[in-house]
Amino acid sequence: MDEQIWVASIGLIPVYAMVAWGGALVWSPGITTRTGPRPAGYLNGLLTLIAFVHSLLALISIWGQPAQGIRIPWVQVGDLVLDLPLQASSLTLGACVLITGLNLLAQVYGFGYMEMDWGWARFFSLLGLFEAGMCALVLCDSLFFSYVFLEILTLGTYLLVGLWFNQPLVVTGARDAFLTKRVGDLLLLMAVIAVFPLTGSWNFEDLAAWAAAVQMGTVAVDPTLITLVGLGFVAGAVGKCAQFPLHLWLDEAMEGPLPSTVLRNAVVVSTGAWVLLRLQPLLSLSPVVLAVMVTIGGLSAVGGSLVALAQIDAKRALSYVVSAYMGIIFVAVAGGHTDQAYLLLLIYAPAMAVLVMAEGTVIWNSISQDLRHLGGLWSRRPVSGLSFGVGVLGLIALPPLGSFWVLSDLAQQFWLSEQWWQLGILWVTNAVTALGLMRVFGLIWAGQPQQMTERSPEVHWPMILPMTLAVGLTLHLPIILAALDWLPHLSWIPAGLMVGSSGLGLGLGIWLYVRRDPQPVDWEWLRDWQDLLAQDFYTPRLYQVSVVFVVRVISNLTNWIDRYIVDGIGALTGLVVMAGGQVLKYANSGQFQVYVLTIGVGIALVSWLTMH
Amino acid sequence: MLLSAVIAIPFLGALVLFLGSGSRQLALAIAGIPLALLVWLVTHFDPQQSGIQYQTYWEWIPQIGLHYSLGLDGISLLMVGLNALLTFIAILSAETAIKRPALFYGLILFTSGAIHGAFLSQNLLLFFIFYELVLIPMYLLISIWGSAKRDYAGIKFLIYTAVSAILVLGAFLAIGWLADPHSFELSQLHDLALDPQTQTLVLVALILGFGIKMPLIPLHTWLPDAYGESSAPVAILLGGILSKLGIYGLLRFGLDLWPEGWATVSGFLAGWGAFCVLAGALAAIAQTDIQRMVAYSSIGHMGYILLGMAAATPVSLTGVMLQMVSHGLILALLFNLVGIIERIVGSRDLNVLNGLLNPIRGLPAISALLILAGMASAGIPGLVGFVAEFLIFQGSYSIFPLATLIAILGTGLTAVYFVILLNRTCFGKLDNHTAYYPLIQTWERIPGLILAGLIIWFGIQPMGLVDLPQSLAFDMAGKVAQAHQEPIILAEALDLASAP
Repeated sequence: MDEQIWVASIGLIPVYAMVAWGGALVWSPGITTRTGPRPAGYLNGLLTLIAFVHSLLALISIWGQPAQGIRIPWVQVGDLVLDLPLQASSLTLGACVLITGLNLLAQVYGFGYMEMDWGWARFFSLLGLFEAGMCALVLCDSLFFSYVFLEILTLGTYLLVGLWFNQPLVVTGARDAFLTKRVGDLLLLMAVIAVFPLTGSWNFEDLAAWAAAVQMGTVAVDPTLITLVGLGFVAGAVGKCAQFPLHLWLDEAMEGPLPSTVLRNAVVVSTGAWVLLRLQPLLSLSPVVLAVMVTIGGLSAVGGSLVALAQIDAKRALSYVVSAYMGIIFVAVAGGHTDQAYLLLLIYAPAMAVLVMAEGTVIWNSISQDLRHLGGLWSRRPVSGLSFGVGVLGLIALPPLGSFWVLSDLAQQFWLSEQWWQLGILWVTNAVTALGLMRVFGLIWAGQPQQMTERSPEVHWPMILPMTLAVGLTLHLPIILAALDWLPHLSWIPAGLMVGSSGLGLGLGIWLYVRRDPQPVDWEWLRDWQDLLAQDFYTPRLYQVSVVFVVRVISNLTNWIDRYIVDGIGALTGLVVMAGGQVLKYANSGQFQVYVLTIGVGIALVSWLTMH
Repeated sequence: MLLSAVIAIPFLGALVLFLGSGSRQLALAIAGIPLALLVWLVTHFDPQQSGIQYQTYWEWIPQIGLHYSLGLDGISLLMVGLNALLTFIAILSAETAIKRPALFYGLILFTSGAIHGAFLSQNLLLFFIFYELVLIPMYLLISIWGSAKRDYAGIKFLIYTAVSAILVLGAFLAIGWLADPHSFELSQLHDLALDPQTQTLVLVALILGFGIKMPLIPLHTWLPDAYGESSAPVAILLGGILSKLGIYGLLRFGLDLWPEGWATVSGFLAGWGAFCVLAGALAAIAQTDIQRMVAYSSIGHMGYILLGMAAATPVSLTGVMLQMVSHGLILALLFNLVGIIERIVGSRDLNVLNGLLNPIRGLPAISALLILAGMASAGIPGLVGFVAEFLIFQGSYSIFPLATLIAILGTGLTAVYFVILLNRTCFGKLDNHTAYYPLIQTWERIPGLILAGLIIWFGIQPMGLVDLPQSLAFDMAGKVAQAHQEPIILAEALDLASAP
């Protein structure tokens, strides 16, 4: 068969998932009571497998070839032509392979994790929606359509987090996820609309070419405007990547089902970073934007890894690590190190997936995600323990796993560009993340069994199989990178720095938590700081007293004005007319002269009014 | 002939229903005929032509300039189509056990015929007659079949719209007398050149008159009561199609006839539009009755339309015309679903409703559709509302950047109240003591499914809608741009309008 056919038909990759999405919706509650919920899940798994195979074949066909474009017409209003441009390149198809592959693993994991759940149709259809949205996002070559797909992912997050809608925490979590991401999306939309009159195009290549022209000085642009536009772009990514100050939603999204967390933590959050990476030439036009990115990314990286230290909820301890790593990507993009950022996204995804899956197996049959109630599982659950360990090592800079190469290369780039702050952020984040992940490992697998882990064997194969496959992928990533000749040449200073950072974090973690009888870190002088971190720097409360309060007060005020003043004026007019009628009625004494007088005064009044 | 049939069939149907003991099936069949005719018209309409098609002209009372003069262009076609569809949906959404069915369905058909007539009239006085004709059946529909405060709501509706009619009539008479020779024919008025001050004066009357009908804040206070107290089918007609009469009037007799005057007031209108978006959304957040919340949502959406009309670029006007359709579809779906929820659960209070997404004892399909409708109204891509809003924003940004950005902010607030609505009604735990709801019939889901299908279909494939009014939008935008004396936009618009 002609190999080109796989590339020419990449438009189908998101369509498979759309079919899966629509197909699963057939299992309405009425049909589910007859067939059980499982067929909807299997249908989704099958179509994701097809999408995965298709992406893989297309990737093989395009490898080493120049990128190819396909345009699908959508809307045209005069000169505003909105065609959906799809781009097939090794980068975009590689991302598709990663997304569909991880979604396949997450779905098989879901078969196990959601075994007793009746909401399969909704759950798997939403995973299908996510896959469709993400594949379309990476394939599309247009900022406008990127916004469209990001917004659809926002809706998907809302519904997926809200899957178990009976629980109050889920309801608020879904709400906050939707609203915070929407804030980012709308700022992005403002930037998308504002950039078009400048560039005349939303295609990423055209945007990059325009940015280059501005750099060269051939095109003049108002620096304030381009700064504002750049900030809009960054805001979109801040919402998606759960960066400070729009990071709250990811933490609350942990109330959703865990298999979706696998996908969300590993790849969905990266969608914002992906768009940011593609917009990098435009962002680098404004030093203010770059400074903001470093600040936000740095705060999220260091702050996130610190907050993760103080979480007692196993899933939340991981969710802040996600914010931290996305923060590193922000810092890397701001520094102009896009190659390293792309590679970090690739390396990060399987390692994070392994961490969530391994933790999920424990949560699933220990019926608790409170780290204080877990412990001592190493003897009974070596496979999941080993997997978690591989995930930790895959995420932090420790040779020989992939992250070592990428993070050290990033450190080297910071070093060479003399970006010392950025280097510091990377070093601290890596060390604190190592400590935090070791803490989770120690509290779950080391020490003595607690009441929730007395009877906690390894789980069944649908969960173990995808987890171990992801472990295999994490372990093989450096070999894959080496085969592709993507391993960087590292000098020993940055490599040594990063290994030292990991060693420090891991060592401290092992010393504090991986022991037979772990002592809780409960030092008097640290308690306030622990509270601060456990409460996420009090940002939820800050939101309550600022944005939420203001919107509530203003909307109530608007309603009050509407009700009593605007409507009141209308009612008053009516009242005056009625009262006038009443007065005239009772002034009527039956005497002819009074009539004449009334009419005369009326005529005089009206003519006086018309004269003036 | 065809257009006359579209107007006459609902009137004749109403007559049949008033006289005989008409039934729901008969009403549906009658409402189906104009719908079928409209489908035929849509397929045979030539979207490239910006002028009036299918013209009909009979002299009626030449002494006062009233003629039976009908015609169809892109926006009329969209509106008449929407009206035919929503009439059908409204009848389908009525409860089977409604009291005095013959009168109810008859009045709905009567309203529908009058609205058809208004959208097709090419004569100012003829338009006005149909515009007024809508009032009577609508008043009866609100005050006979409404909920507790229906009398108050009905009277308020009547007074406000009567004031609107007086203003519109005043403006129309002024226009007719200023024309030389005196005429109320649209085709003759297009060439009428008035000085800018007079244009502005006429426009102010038209904006206030049609602004009450749309409605625009602060002329809106009749609306929450009217929408809130009406039964679902009446609310569908009121919100879905009646409010479009105001927008249509403003487009047809304001912007299109008086571009110079329009250009003078457009800056003010853009600010007003942005204000309506924010105020409508904020007031909606504070509501606890979901039908009133939807009503305020509707007011907020009028702000986008006003903004797009003020900017009057080809893209923004196309967006406005698309928004008129999408707003009608989405609002009709919302009112249909709220009506079902009220009938089944017995409440529209956000503090009472809970957990309707429950697959066994709740209303899962209705809740799923409600989520879709809410998201469509909040402008989530992939649904028809987004296309319209996006075109308005993109088209208006180059003229009124600040107002556009404020309006985008408003879509964020829209998301806030729809999330409140969805979280309270669909999410949460069903109360085990009260959740013994009657089973929902399959046919009750049909109107919702039809509307949802259209909302998704036109969201993914909007060209079917965008094509129809485009040449008209370019035509109108060209006139305003000429008045603005903005050569770039003008050249662009003329260039594109003349392109085959």
